[in-house]
Amino acid sequence: MKNLLLITALTSLICFTGCQSTVNTVENKNKTMKVEEVDTSRISTDSFLRRRLQFTRVNKVEKADGLLMVQVSAKNTRSGFFDQLSTWFMGDYPYQIEYRFSWFNKDGMEVQTATNTWIPKSIIPGDTVHFKAVAPNPSCKDFQLSIKENVNARSR
Amino acid sequence: MNNTTYFFILALSMLMLNSGCGTPARRIDPSSNQGLITVDDINFKDWQIAAEKGINSLLASSVLDRPNGRKTIIMISTIKNSTMQHINTRILTDKIRQAILHSGKALTTTALSGNGADDTASREVRKLEDDDLFNQETVQDHETAIAPDMSLSGEIVQQKTVSGRNSESYFVFHMALTDLKTGLALWEENIEIVKQEKKPVLGW
Repeated sequence: MKNLLLITALTSLICFTGCQSTVNTVENKNKTMKVEEVDTSRISTDSFLRRRLQFTRVNKVEKADGLLMVQVSAKNTRSGFFDQLSTWFMGDYPYQIEYRFSWFNKDGMEVQTATNTWIPKSIIPGDTVHFKAVAPNPSCKDFQLSIKENVNARSR
Repeated sequence: MNNTTYFFILALSMLMLNSGCGTPARRIDPSSNQGLITVDDINFKDWQIAAEKGINSLLASSVLDRPNGRKTIIMISTIKNSTMQHINTRILTDKIRQAILHSGKALTTTALSGNGADDTASREVRKLEDDDLFNQETVQDHETAIAPDMSLSGEIVQQKTVSGRNSESYFVFHMALTDLKTGLALWEENIEIVKQEKKPVLGW
């Protein structure tokens, strides 16, 4: 009887976690895009975020009007069975984060913007997301992307 | 009175005392997500998100650049409120106006807006030409104000859905920049915000 209960509970758990969906992607191998990649050696994350998000690329381009446009790509790597199990247990499906861009002029001083707020974003396991932003004015030469977990939006 | 009853009364009293205590008023960081979240309303965070995304899209589009190098003059037209709430759309337009000015790509006029002049001073000072209190050489001339090249308009739409204990509000912030010479929309953007809640079985 006890074994039967255990098997039923385990089966239910597997069925339940099996209902979670991850994102599968297909893309062309030979890229036509020509991007200016930014050295990502200055990425700093805590171990919690590192186990969930993997930063894959940082691109930047200066538009014709002098405004800097940046794009940071990150992938939610929690796509294995045990990862999905813990994702479900932790209420991380989809993973809820907030991000904010800060801008700096050539002297390293932060440039004040009309709006500088945390933007919520959800990321499904296996999916790649792109954080994009345009500098508020042409004096902005550097940027910083801050990311934190959106605890208020967790499903449990 | 036995021990169980005594313990029960004590626990109930503590619970009532605890639930009766409120939280004192406090200031919170406007850029944080500590603000109140309600499904039916547009909260301050929603305005900030809509403004931030709208500004990013506008600056990425490069529509503010003019071929002759002159700065574009923009008037703030009307943002129609099609929600079920009484809201002041100025919260949104002011942020966009500031971002446009900070970008250095365009200037905004306060002498004209969708609801009359935003600042009536430009017209009022020209009425001083017959007032002998003022040095007439310092009174602003007529025909010197610059007319706008573009107008910023929009609409905020809310769609509410209720299913059992679940309720959801879908807000769409539509913004458009129109070339006043041709009447053509040069830029349009929809910012979507969806808020959802599940009411408890008991309580409110």
